Amino acid sequence: MPTMDVDGKKIAWEGKKMILQACLDAGTEIPHYCYHQGLSIVASCRICLVEIESPDPKDPAKLVKVPKLVPSCQTPAVDGMKVHSASPKALANQKAVMEFLLLNHPLDCPVCDQAGECGLQDYSYQYGRSESRFEEDKAKKPKKDIGKHVMLYSDRCIMCTRCVRFTREISGTGELAVFGRGHREEIDVFQGQSLDNPLSGNVIDICPVGALLDKDFLFTQRVWFLKKTPSISPFSSGGENISIEHNQGRVYRIKPRFNADVNKWWISDDIRYGWDFVHTNRLQTPAAKGVPQELSASQSIGQLDQAMKKAAMTPGATLLVLNAGDSTEEMFLAAQWIRRLDPQAWLTLAEPKVDGQDQVFKNPTTGAVTYTLRAEKAPNRRGAQKVLAQLGGNVCKLADVQDKIKVGQIKAALVLADPFGHADASSQTALAGVETLVVLSTRPDGLVSQASLALPVCTWAEKSGVFENHSGLIQAFRQAIAPLENTRSAGSIFWDLMDLAGTYDPAAVRRMMSELGLAEYAAVTLPEQHEKIELMQFTDL
Amino acid sequence: MAFAGPVLLKRIPDDPAKRKLINMDQYIATGGYESLRKAQSMTPDQIIQLVIDSNLRGRGGAGFPCGSKWKFLPKDIHPRYLAVNFDESEPGTFKDRYLTDYDPHILLEGIAIAAYANRISVSYIYIRGEYHLEAKILEKALEEAYAKGFFGQKIPGTDIVHNCYVHRGAGAYICGEETGLLESLEGKRGWPRIKPPFPAIAGAFAKPTIINNVETLACLPYIIEYGADWFKSMGTPSSTGPKLFGVSGLVHKPGVYEEELGIKMSTLIEKYAGGVKGGKYRAAIPGGVSMGVLGTDQYDAELDFDIGKKYNVLGLGTAGVIVMTDKTDLVVMLRNIIRFFAHESCGQCTPCREGTAWMHKMLNRIVAGYGKPRDFDMLMEVGLSMGSMPGTTICGLADGANWAVRTFLQKFPEDFKARIKSDHVQGVTLDAQAAAAV
Repeated sequence: MPTMDVDGKKIAWEGKKMILQACLDAGTEIPHYCYHQGLSIVASCRICLVEIESPDPKDPAKLVKVPKLVPSCQTPAVDGMKVHSASPKALANQKAVMEFLLLNHPLDCPVCDQAGECGLQDYSYQYGRSESRFEEDKAKKPKKDIGKHVMLYSDRCIMCTRCVRFTREISGTGELAVFGRGHREEIDVFQGQSLDNPLSGNVIDICPVGALLDKDFLFTQRVWFLKKTPSISPFSSGGENISIEHNQGRVYRIKPRFNADVNKWWISDDIRYGWDFVHTNRLQTPAAKGVPQELSASQSIGQLDQAMKKAAMTPGATLLVLNAGDSTEEMFLAAQWIRRLDPQAWLTLAEPKVDGQDQVFKNPTTGAVTYTLRAEKAPNRRGAQKVLAQLGGNVCKLADVQDKIKVGQIKAALVLADPFGHADASSQTALAGVETLVVLSTRPDGLVSQASLALPVCTWAEKSGVFENHSGLIQAFRQAIAPLENTRSAGSIFWDLMDLAGTYDPAAVRRMMSELGLAEYAAVTLPEQHEKIELMQFTDL
Repeated sequence: MAFAGPVLLKRIPDDPAKRKLINMDQYIATGGYESLRKAQSMTPDQIIQLVIDSNLRGRGGAGFPCGSKWKFLPKDIHPRYLAVNFDESEPGTFKDRYLTDYDPHILLEGIAIAAYANRISVSYIYIRGEYHLEAKILEKALEEAYAKGFFGQKIPGTDIVHNCYVHRGAGAYICGEETGLLESLEGKRGWPRIKPPFPAIAGAFAKPTIINNVETLACLPYIIEYGADWFKSMGTPSSTGPKLFGVSGLVHKPGVYEEELGIKMSTLIEKYAGGVKGGKYRAAIPGGVSMGVLGTDQYDAELDFDIGKKYNVLGLGTAGVIVMTDKTDLVVMLRNIIRFFAHESCGQCTPCREGTAWMHKMLNRIVAGYGKPRDFDMLMEVGLSMGSMPGTTICGLADGANWAVRTFLQKFPEDFKARIKSDHVQGVTLDAQAAAAV
């Protein structure tokens, strides 16, 4: 493996890499603003300049010092190279660039949402100077509403053009451009247009400063109060890696989490802004025919148990409707339980909503696929299908259920309801006329009104488990916030019904699953809970 | 050294009243397009060798040897392009405009020769947006040349059809930087590119591209006609040939004059430009404002490509000399120069985008009488961190701004110090306030 020396530290890399990327991959920071691994290289912020000594092509043992400072973001790393990112020249440049960037910056950190996760704040502590020598009038640039989700504070912008490159290279929509020239230039949308594409929210993430801000998150929370829980998107079959950012039991925003094989650095706006269902329109008490019932947790489970047991006296008279929005563990436990009551119980899956075709985003220049927006609006159809296939026996389609009810074969149905309500209509038609209908739901509407018993359960943010995405990748998500009062996960309900010891443990369920033939589920591990927080290095001011 | 008389300007009379546009017939009648015929009887390699032998250096500012530039073109990659840099926007520079105003065919003949020598498919004349008249003249001349079959025909001995187009810029100084020009030519924002790859490898539309200045190409017919030795008989060993000098500022007869490289600035001013007007010589810009300034004791500076090291300026640049006298306010002069750079900075690299504007604001304040003693060192420091430290920006614009600031401060510190001191604190005149408001 080739290695180079960066400020006395050995750094190794594989393949062709630029100096900066090799350093970042090895965990060594060289300051940078305009560089983003997912975008083309423009080398325009000029803070990543370093001094290098490169091996002489004729005599590799000899190092030749390059007289210029070179941008580490676009200079290829060469085996045996020496890089000085903290030499007097490099430090002087970093200081100068920091000073230049802050000349016209309004320094309004106290009212800026980015404060706490801002590239300017971090680097001015690490590489800047403590006082400003600029005594002229600052350039004043306007605040602009540039799109459905995005606000642009031009005055805070450092013109790294990451957002412009994103719309040109990733979303391929090209709404953003640089207008004007020199110190008067601004990012803007063309007249009469707005930043409106299914990936628009990503420009907020890649903005290193507080210029592009999320309207949805604007002024709601200081970022240093937010806790980040790694999770998996429950909104579509892509299995996008996300992080739920929450405080005191409330979700405030969702951010993408890098996964090279799945979503890279990006998520779609559906995912980013879809979490409303966690906090609104929730079923909070058990209900019968839509009327709230005063039942304790154990009473309500007892009722569920009794209702299903009664029907299970007749073989093949019970039905379990799975939903592709629940974790595989929960579906497995539910199916196991109902099959224990009646080995001939019917199992089915409410088909998830498919919204047209997968939308594929490509880089218009290279044609490379940058992001795929999945049409299937549920995270875990493959998991559900695996459970059905593994347990076998009486498995039918939801569409065939109505006939079985009509002839009196199915008398009781237990439904894991769709947290988004997408599958409600088809379930309602399929289950019309069933004698006993028990529903586990997060929402107070849909099937709940016709259910003889509805139990409140919690959403994906309030529990942990695994989803299997469209390509069969099994990924675990962690519980971010405590379940809403009076709700619990469907998994814990079936855990209790199965008389298992202790509290609901998805990992134990996965072990059960692997013993029963779903071996791939044993190997799943939870994502790292904590971000690495590196100690800041301060330079002498 | 022997300069017998005008070469490039031989068809343009000295007397302004007699100057008029030379059309195709007149051009051919005076021996025009003969060199192209002669070139076509030579092999491309012979022509390139001849250009290398003549030591023709680029007339656009950098003085890069033209033949070496051509040699960089990779073999067998087609199509190849020639971009003619007619984005003449350096303050004090108007030589290419003067040449084209009266004798556009000399440029077209040069283009045809360069295209033949380098197997060029398309030549683009990238002309500055403000040059409306010149664009029209060139369009007309091109029409004539197409009619005569100098363009739009197969290059003899190949299947390559050579076409030439006039492409008008949109009024940005930075599009005269060669890669900024290419971006603009491709229809993009004129932001200079990161090099490598160099344009000779991947230039316009990612194909090999040569970029030459108008005057450089205009030299080609004469090199073909009279040979390398004749060309080298003019100028100095390292800076050969005739050169167009644009003289402006405080002289009696500002204009474009042709002389051999290496003549003394004093000769240029006194012999051609009618001497300094309204005062005593104090300072001069040697070749466009980005080259810095020549001091009072550098009146006799030899204007060749080696001027930089000898006289502490950046270089000869475009040889657009701006003369200043003891009546010139050098502080305001520098302010105007930096205002130009702040206005024309493309805004890509942080140091240039912010630094030029900062220096402009600082100089405005000094001109207005609010200067502080530390401003002198600050100007110097900002200039240095912006441009002088090599590699801080993608292109040379910041470096040009830095050279202007640095040489003005180094060579005329007393002007700045006096300004900072005399009008310090509240002693602001109405004039100064008006200046600050600009």
